[in-house]
Amino acid sequence: MSESCGNPAVETEAIMNRRLKYDRSKLCIKCKVNSGRVVVRHAVYCKDCFPALLTSKVKRLLEPYINPSPELSRRKSLKASGNLLIGYSGGLGSTVLLDLISKIYLSNRSELKSQGARENKPRGGKDHPRNEPVWKKASVCYVEISSAFPGTVDQTDKIKLLVEEKFEALEFISLRLEDSFDRKWWAKIGRNTFSDLNVDVTNADLFFSTVSDDSIPDPVQKLRSYISALPTHTAIDNAIRTLTRILLLYTAHYTQSSHLLLGTSLTSLSISLISSISQGGGFAVREEAQEEWNPGSSSASTPIRLVRPLQEITMKECSLWAWWNNLCVVGRAKHPGSKQGIGALTKDFIVGLERDYPSTVSTIARTCAKLAPKVCAEGFCILCERPLQPGVQDWKSRISIRATTVSPNSAAPIPLSIAPLLCYSCHTTLTSRSSKAVSNFGNASIPLPIWAAVHLNGSPSDPNSIYAEGLEDKREANRDVWVTRKAGPDEMKAVIGDFLLE
Amino acid sequence: MATISVRVEFGGGLELLFSNQKRHSLTLPSVVPTDNNTKLSGDDLSSVETKPVDVEYLMYHLKDKLLQERPELFMENNTVRPGILVLINDTDWELEGEGEYALKNNDEIVFISTLHGG
Repeated sequence: MSESCGNPAVETEAIMNRRLKYDRSKLCIKCKVNSGRVVVRHAVYCKDCFPALLTSKVKRLLEPYINPSPELSRRKSLKASGNLLIGYSGGLGSTVLLDLISKIYLSNRSELKSQGARENKPRGGKDHPRNEPVWKKASVCYVEISSAFPGTVDQTDKIKLLVEEKFEALEFISLRLEDSFDRKWWAKIGRNTFSDLNVDVTNADLFFSTVSDDSIPDPVQKLRSYISALPTHTAIDNAIRTLTRILLLYTAHYTQSSHLLLGTSLTSLSISLISSISQGGGFAVREEAQEEWNPGSSSASTPIRLVRPLQEITMKECSLWAWWNNLCVVGRAKHPGSKQGIGALTKDFIVGLERDYPSTVSTIARTCAKLAPKVCAEGFCILCERPLQPGVQDWKSRISIRATTVSPNSAAPIPLSIAPLLCYSCHTTLTSRSSKAVSNFGNASIPLPIWAAVHLNGSPSDPNSIYAEGLEDKREANRDVWVTRKAGPDEMKAVIGDFLLE
Repeated sequence: MATISVRVEFGGGLELLFSNQKRHSLTLPSVVPTDNNTKLSGDDLSSVETKPVDVEYLMYHLKDKLLQERPELFMENNTVRPGILVLINDTDWELEGEGEYALKNNDEIVFISTLHGG
């Protein structure tokens, strides 16, 4: 046997020399003077150069998107068209984001102001762009999810206290996940309400029905009924993410914000990308990193830019920033069963990968940034409000068995289905059952979030509404072609009889 | 038996595994078994292979003597679980040789979980 091909069963100690986790020397690669304190993807930085590294990454990601048109993106003329909303979960990423945004864009402005007041005149003159805040007003919004899971602790007060103590320049806005089903909240943010809709999740066609106003339960009950009818833990995670994202977007519009910032780190982004693609969200893969959302209340409304300024900063860098700046990380609320979903499994995989191969995690995000769908979107999904891939239901009906029972071939009117208005991912979230399903479908008819009902019931002047009547027409037009039923063996044989070899 | 003193601190929610106490002062033997067996000490060491006390031994010491629950959340495959950041005297342990770093008197070791709801 040659020496280069040893027997691994015998030579248990034959292991490779461990590779250093950093390139070249222990000196900081930036100042080349100080001893390094941290290794970031094989590069060594000292404690003095580390803040500049994070600040420059945030600016590089965010500043090209601050001004309405990119040609005005020079630092000194940064001026957003509206206010700023920062999403805060209490987790590491959003805590670091709050701190960095406050330090870069909010606190130095107040320092300049106070310095100007001391000198009795603003630095550079009162009209100098430096003395103008980038956003007129900045708010931070927290969405509490505890109502969805009885027995979970409500963290709102703790989070409110922390934000008000540490980030005085920011206004605190508290939301609850059940607001997604609350007509009062919808009216409060200046939107018209319509009749609630229920959807039957036992059928892949997701037939819906209007609910009379008298039988509307409490929003918490609606939320629990929605969550408990979801078929898997993965679906529950996905639903919470979607509801939270949409609540933040509508709040951003209500607060007249032009930008919504989320604290998704590079590690979290790679996890979201892999997890989303594995749940059928490949068509909206670009939106996982960055998106422009159209609030659609009027034709004059400008899109809100959802930006993730930490998407080039790893979880390790965030953690060190929080440690060295003594930031208090409350911790994101966890819900029962969250460790069994695809998201949690992907997180375990990516975090392990990042320890041994940190550049590979960055490669995931950079590769996904180059992806684009082959076809144009056909509107947007009424549930997640992300681009809708055309022909999803046709494709699904060709590749899978959608029903195992024989459909009665009657002339009775077929109920309206919302399946054609959902993206692949949302349709899968509502309908894909596994062998370890968490739902027993005790309540098959579940309420839809209020925006989905509004999109279905909306008025003709609302460009984002999809008429139930229009849907009916579409269904009627397609009825002869697309109604499927199980054919008997004799009937099938008669159809293909001419082609059979005797 | 010669000993050294080290300070250990937990952050990012990791302290919850250690009686919710963030800071610990420990006295460790300066020479320990190579296999990191924390039950051997003093004369027992004469019959086994030994090494100067290092961060790897410290991790086993913390797991065997101080950890209150769920060891799988602290250690995995003879090192800390992925997602736990270790600082040796305020420096990333990847610059100091990770578990092989030989501890010195009054060293400060910090374990921070990056996964605390992250």
